[in-house]
Amino acid sequence: MTTLCGDADLQALMEAMRSDEHDEIARADRLISAFPEDPRLHFLRGSILASIGRPIEALSSLKKAVALAPDFAIARFQLGFFQLTSGEAADALSTWGPIALLPEGHYLRFFVGGLTHLIRDEFDDCVTRLNEGIAANDENPALNRDMQLIIDQVGEIKRAAARDAAEEEDGSTSATSFLLDQLSGRRPN
Amino acid sequence: MTVSRDPSGLELVVDPVRAEASLWRRFRFEDDLRCRETLFNRYFKLARSVAGRLFRARPGQRLERADFDQFACEGLLQALDRYDPLRGVPFSAYARRRITGNIADGMSSMSEIDAQLSHRHRMEQERLRSLARTGDDPLAALSELAVGLALGLMLEGTGLIEPADAPDRRPSAYDSLVWRETLALLVAEIGRLPENEAIVVRQHYDHGLPFASVAQLMNLSRGRVSQLHRAALERLRKRLRTNGG
Repeated sequence: MTTLCGDADLQALMEAMRSDEHDEIARADRLISAFPEDPRLHFLRGSILASIGRPIEALSSLKKAVALAPDFAIARFQLGFFQLTSGEAADALSTWGPIALLPEGHYLRFFVGGLTHLIRDEFDDCVTRLNEGIAANDENPALNRDMQLIIDQVGEIKRAAARDAAEEEDGSTSATSFLLDQLSGRRPN
Repeated sequence: MTVSRDPSGLELVVDPVRAEASLWRRFRFEDDLRCRETLFNRYFKLARSVAGRLFRARPGQRLERADFDQFACEGLLQALDRYDPLRGVPFSAYARRRITGNIADGMSSMSEIDAQLSHRHRMEQERLRSLARTGDDPLAALSELAVGLALGLMLEGTGLIEPADAPDRRPSAYDSLVWRETLALLVAEIGRLPENEAIVVRQHYDHGLPFASVAQLMNLSRGRVSQLHRAALERLRKRLRTNGG
């Protein structure tokens, strides 16, 4: 028995996701009832549900995709990313574990490395790894855009932290000069 | 004073809608009761604000504001149990309707005698019954009871579970140093209580929930909550004695 649906059906589903018909869930469900073991269908269903604000069901579809095909790397990465964006960092790290088995230099390894640094608030290493991943990834431009967004947000935090540090520095300088002025008998301006 | 803090890396990527869905999933489908308390705490202010609005809209009635708060909390607890997180309706909209309905029902069913016995009075009686022991040396029992009740007074409104950006409700600079130190010690010790005892203390003293509502929140009997309350206060008393020198 065939467990995977045909390319034409898969293509039609992906086109439905891009169209304004809003029938993509019904199409995915129909295909899943015909091919319940096809991990790609569960992955697409999870992606659709995540995009229309049904996160609880999205997670279970993504989990199902990874359970059916543990080597389906992009589904595994997206499941972990979904868990991360749900605030479940420990689950994300555990989902991503097998990504380390991908070949050296694979973009998903860089992305997982970068996001792991992000969880630990190691911002410089996070940005380095994510940039390496973007440079290595030429098959999934949408993912590059997501990672670039994170790099931009990290940059914003670092700029804000640098501004705070500079203001603090100014404050301590004035406090020091105030004390020195007091000691030397001069009045501060 | 509010201290600003840089966001953590995780906060940068967390999507609030997904994070809340994760709480609902763990509470509803994975029986994680801690998530139930987290959701209750998250929507507690909503319940209070609905109570406040309805109370102000009905001046001159016999009930106190605390009664409205109590009905609102009950409504919130019911909403937590009946809400279907898969239907796509935001919980706040669903909960607001249930809270409003429960306040209206509570007001109409409350008898004149109930109304005369204020919410605060009922809470104090409940607390007293939880702490009072029979069969001990009466003087020792009285002394223990007094310490327990005093601890309860200290715990009320200490802002134990307020978010970091809420107004600082701790004693002001004019309160004595001893009071402030003891309070700080008390808050630290609550953090070290067993989880169930800590929930009882937080919800009863900080949110003003009677034992029946705490029991509903924790899926326990009211008697069990009373026992946990007593155990928590005994533990706090012993630890404060040890740490306070």
